[in-house]
Amino acid sequence: MIFLGKIMAVHSYKGGTGKTLVSVNLAASFAKHNKKVCLMDLDFRAPSLATFFRSEKVEYWLNDYLNGTCKIDRVLIDLRHRINGGGELFVGLSNPSTEAMREMSAKDRKWEMRALGRLLALRNSLINDKGFDYLIFDTSPGLQYSSINAIVAADLVIVATTFDRSDVEGTKRMLHELYDLFEKKTGIVVNKVLYDVSSKSGRTDLQNKMKEMYQVPVISIIPCFCDVSRAEGASIFTQEKPEHPFAKIVDEMADRIETNDLM
Amino acid sequence: MNHYTCFVRLNKHNLLLHLYTRKTLWGAKVTRQQALGGKSLQVLEKIRQNLEKLNEKMEIMIELQKRDRKDSQLLPDAPLDVMTLLSMPDHLRKTAMTVCRLGRATANEVAEQTHRARAVESSYLNQLVIMGHLKKERVGRKAYFYVEKESQG
Repeated sequence: MIFLGKIMAVHSYKGGTGKTLVSVNLAASFAKHNKKVCLMDLDFRAPSLATFFRSEKVEYWLNDYLNGTCKIDRVLIDLRHRINGGGELFVGLSNPSTEAMREMSAKDRKWEMRALGRLLALRNSLINDKGFDYLIFDTSPGLQYSSINAIVAADLVIVATTFDRSDVEGTKRMLHELYDLFEKKTGIVVNKVLYDVSSKSGRTDLQNKMKEMYQVPVISIIPCFCDVSRAEGASIFTQEKPEHPFAKIVDEMADRIETNDLM
Repeated sequence: MNHYTCFVRLNKHNLLLHLYTRKTLWGAKVTRQQALGGKSLQVLEKIRQNLEKLNEKMEIMIELQKRDRKDSQLLPDAPLDVMTLLSMPDHLRKTAMTVCRLGRATANEVAEQTHRARAVESSYLNQLVIMGHLKKERVGRKAYFYVEKESQG
């Protein structure tokens, strides 16, 4: 069986589509199923994982790795203790300080090119040498340098989208004018769906409709769960509530990616 | 095709034909005088290497001529960043991305990944060198192409 890939970039056209929610919970789901996973925050303009994981005393950030001032081992934080299951979860955080964000937004093309080289090198250093099963890049929306670097370095691009009309149109454009140009395998995750997807046939109909609309496989359709919104990104939702329908959907998503079963 | 291109291509063809004939004659000599085989083979190998170098120089000349450049200088270094990759024609992007992925590769190795002919990849790789996006280094008989070394993490 051909696996879809070990490096995934979670990207979107617009902000607020649920990239971080999908990234964090997908990483946790893989880890729960005995995989060694590394989640990286490549949204340098609006970092969120540092807050999400409430990490204190971070010695090195992903910014430092991309600047070439440290090795990737120094950046990774072990979060095994936050995972129920036999796997391992590590995170690489981007620096949320205003100064770091300003510095990252002023980088030139040469720096971005070196950063791409360093992202590409992660396949060797983390997957081949350190035995990671999956690397997940949580990116910033739209055509940002760091996001496109992540897309180029990834084997699979997971595009988080909603039913917002401008998001749908923008996602369609990106599929043909960005991911296709880089010949990337792409899968769609439709988030915050307000339709009734409680019945299996209803969900299948919607999946077929989405597949026809985007012309790429649909990895998952996630209904708009008030419980998830209420959690306010304060914890790994699927770890806190493993019996919640959202947790089941994320587990299905992980299973589909692992077995290369995209609809 | 203009006169200059015709001239270059014709000369390239004649030169290759001439050297091929010489190579064949020398090859026949090797069969007759097997005692001198080792030395002759060395000379043949030298000719083959020179032929390859000439071939590459011809490709560069043709490419420079296409770009209306009279001098033999390559274009200055142009970072191979993602935005540059996005703006490239599809055929060159495929080659450039393969080199990015492999880090350092010969035309043969790139061709294995892209499933295109080695000669085609060699031409695209040399175009990318001329455009300043890739560097080229010769190690013995092999020519390696890579993205500027400092960019590799």
